[in-house]
Amino acid sequence: MDVSQYLDIFIDETNGHIQELSDNIMILEKEPENKDCVNEIFRAAHSLKGMAGTMGFKKMQHLTHDMENVFSEVRNDNIKVNSTLIDILFQCLDAIEGYLETVKATSGEGDEANEHLIKMLNEFLNGGGGEAAEPSEEKTEETAEETQDNAGDEDLEFKKLKLEDPDIDSLRQAEASGNKLYGMTIHIQKDCMLKAARAFLVYKAVEDFGEIIIYNPSSQDIEDEKFDLTFNIIISTQSDIKPIIEAVSAVSEIEKVDCEEVTSNYYAEMNAAPEDKKEAAGTAAPAPTEEKKAAPAPAASAAKGSAKNAPANKPVTTRTVRVDIEKLDALMNQVSELIIAKNSLVSISDQDTRSDENQQTFHEQIEYLERITTTLHESVMKVRMVPIENTVAKFPRMIRDLSRKLNKPMELYMTGEDTELDRTVVDQIGDPLQHLLRNSADHGIEDAETRKAAGKPETGSITLNAFQEGNNVIIEVKDDGAGLDIEKIKAKAVERGLVSEEQAENLSKKEVIDFLFNPGFSMAKKVTDISGRGVGLDVVKSNIESLGGDVEVKSVFGQGTTFVVRLPLTLAIIQALMVEVRDEKYAIALGSIQNIENIPVSEIKYVQAEEVIHLRGMVIPLIRLDKLLDSTPKEEESENLTVVVVKKGDSYAGVVVDNLIGQQEIVIKSLGKCIDNNKIINGATILGDGEVALIIDVNAIF
Amino acid sequence: MTDEYGLEVVEKEKIQYIVVSIGNEHYGLDISYVDNIVRMCKITRVPKAPFHYIGIINLRGEVVPLMSLRRKMKLDDDEFTDLSRIIILKTEEMGLIGVVVDEVKEVITLSEDEIDKNARSQSSEKANFISGIGKNDGELVSIFEISSIFDETDNS
Repeated sequence: MDVSQYLDIFIDETNGHIQELSDNIMILEKEPENKDCVNEIFRAAHSLKGMAGTMGFKKMQHLTHDMENVFSEVRNDNIKVNSTLIDILFQCLDAIEGYLETVKATSGEGDEANEHLIKMLNEFLNGGGGEAAEPSEEKTEETAEETQDNAGDEDLEFKKLKLEDPDIDSLRQAEASGNKLYGMTIHIQKDCMLKAARAFLVYKAVEDFGEIIIYNPSSQDIEDEKFDLTFNIIISTQSDIKPIIEAVSAVSEIEKVDCEEVTSNYYAEMNAAPEDKKEAAGTAAPAPTEEKKAAPAPAASAAKGSAKNAPANKPVTTRTVRVDIEKLDALMNQVSELIIAKNSLVSISDQDTRSDENQQTFHEQIEYLERITTTLHESVMKVRMVPIENTVAKFPRMIRDLSRKLNKPMELYMTGEDTELDRTVVDQIGDPLQHLLRNSADHGIEDAETRKAAGKPETGSITLNAFQEGNNVIIEVKDDGAGLDIEKIKAKAVERGLVSEEQAENLSKKEVIDFLFNPGFSMAKKVTDISGRGVGLDVVKSNIESLGGDVEVKSVFGQGTTFVVRLPLTLAIIQALMVEVRDEKYAIALGSIQNIENIPVSEIKYVQAEEVIHLRGMVIPLIRLDKLLDSTPKEEESENLTVVVVKKGDSYAGVVVDNLIGQQEIVIKSLGKCIDNNKIINGATILGDGEVALIIDVNAIF
Repeated sequence: MTDEYGLEVVEKEKIQYIVVSIGNEHYGLDISYVDNIVRMCKITRVPKAPFHYIGIINLRGEVVPLMSLRRKMKLDDDEFTDLSRIIILKTEEMGLIGVVVDEVKEVITLSEDEIDKNARSQSSEKANFISGIGKNDGELVSIFEISSIFDETDNS
């Protein structure tokens, strides 16, 4: 069956289910007894399995099937939820996401079977009730430790191999023919370029002495370089072990060879033995090594896969928007109305248009048409608008992981997830926000002791607030951490030669904070894999600016930092006030206009040689648009100035224009690449008479 | 095509050029880059834009930046007459860009060996944008290197 046509739907729905799973598992972690939640998870896992099965993604189906099994047991109260299970489940989710990425890129699910996860799930399942949960928890802790430090190398990996029955049979046969069995773990040097070639040389060297019975990973995987830095073999030989080790060690770029005599019974026992017994036997549980081996593998194969596929074939998916059917119905209605309006215009044009009566109806129809086009535009924009929910939904999980990784207790609170933004903006806002959150988690929030000492609650809180403000959407990332140390940033800026010491003295707080957005400027004392490399805030800023937005930082030392991201609601059509400067027309977005004032020239005051006006208790700087736009100087100044008061966040500015034309709905067009080095102008629009007017970016004048 | 001995004559690649005049010189623009030729229309000045961009125009609902070749080549500023035309060029990386010329003359076809590639000894600014000199009925036509016109690095 050709299922490729369902691929888009599959990807879309799988994303939904993954998110649902992730959300519910998070809830489950906090309330392990929540039955509704378990049911939800079960349902989602079941749907995932069904869909993967239908699409023929066997490996994905397998994994989700095992997840479903676990949930089913949890639902039947046979298994208690604990943090080990949650960890495994999150790993499974990551794996499924991995599949999905591969599917998106290649429309196949790839080769990664994620057997270690399936095994972990099954172990958990076989562990049975609450008793077994305990030991397995210890085990995964061990896992974590072992994966962290490389001391795990000390273990003899080949001893932990899980062998299939046929393999054990062949071991028995070899033993029966009087040969000795040796297990070997070969460690290849980290910087080795041709691992497969080295492995091959090792095989050749060994085969001079005897026969290799067991390959782990399989010889096919070795050939494809699908292994990490170690591989295992079991050989049967008549010879002594020493010359073999020497021969293998003689192969270049081999770091270490572990070798010991083994017996078939040992592996047979291993297979038969239940989990906890094995632990008692002194060798570490298989899980650690399995994980260690497998963990880098998916990354490597994924990287390989994407490298292979990226240039050749484009992603198979198209960009889609899911639209509420109600929105579409509204759209349909308005289009029908549009047709009616058109028809009445047609009928009027057939008649004699000079009569007064017809003029009257003609104008009425035009007004009607205008109303329809406006609502039609709004509806179409609404179709393009999606809630930021989808983008931010992954953040709680991310903060949870970071919290564990950094060993700092913290919580993420989110509000306004239903705030809607243009689809293109929502798609691209994910990375910058993620970066800001990581930043807050890593640099902002202090560790528990420091927080306690400072009299703050031990658990740090990061808040993500999204809300609409005029024609903008504001997203705040706020933490209650240490805040920015202005003096330190200054010192760093001087150290990096960005400013001289004297200059630094005179900088305002805002100017100092702006240094953070310089490329390569990092305040982190140490570089972690989370942040601190100084690649980041500058990218965040440029990403957000490319979307027509901007970033602001507010910080109180000792109390926390807030990053305010301001994004335009829509990218295409806005309501604007048309103004005139000399004989040129400009548009100012209505959303940023506060009010319009007529100010007599005599009321202009001067603060630090800058023109300001005093307006209802506020001192507002005056900006001469003609000077900003290099217009031809005016011959004589009129007595009254038309001032458009605009605002950006909490600050206001008065923009002096020559004339007001009126409010108009304008379509934003890009100026093209060659002249977009202009910050004040953020686009152009075509007016009714075919003339082109420029759009003033109010945010850039501040 | 075969000649009188029945041997195949290898056709040199022929390219069509639109010949325009700027000042009292003739220039050729590779026709494959030309999207359109339009009459002068209302130009909207863009403040703080690079000097050689005169502004933007409305080309049937599209906003297209307009470049002055005279300014780019550091000649006297444009004087728009009835003969002035805007040639809309289409490039891969920059999209549509209009260039102003004094007059559009004709379309000629030149094969590669009719263009003298070595004739770029002049030291003037405009030499940078000329890829060769073609000969057409005794007149010399400087062939524009389109990509270098849009190269922003050498010129401010």
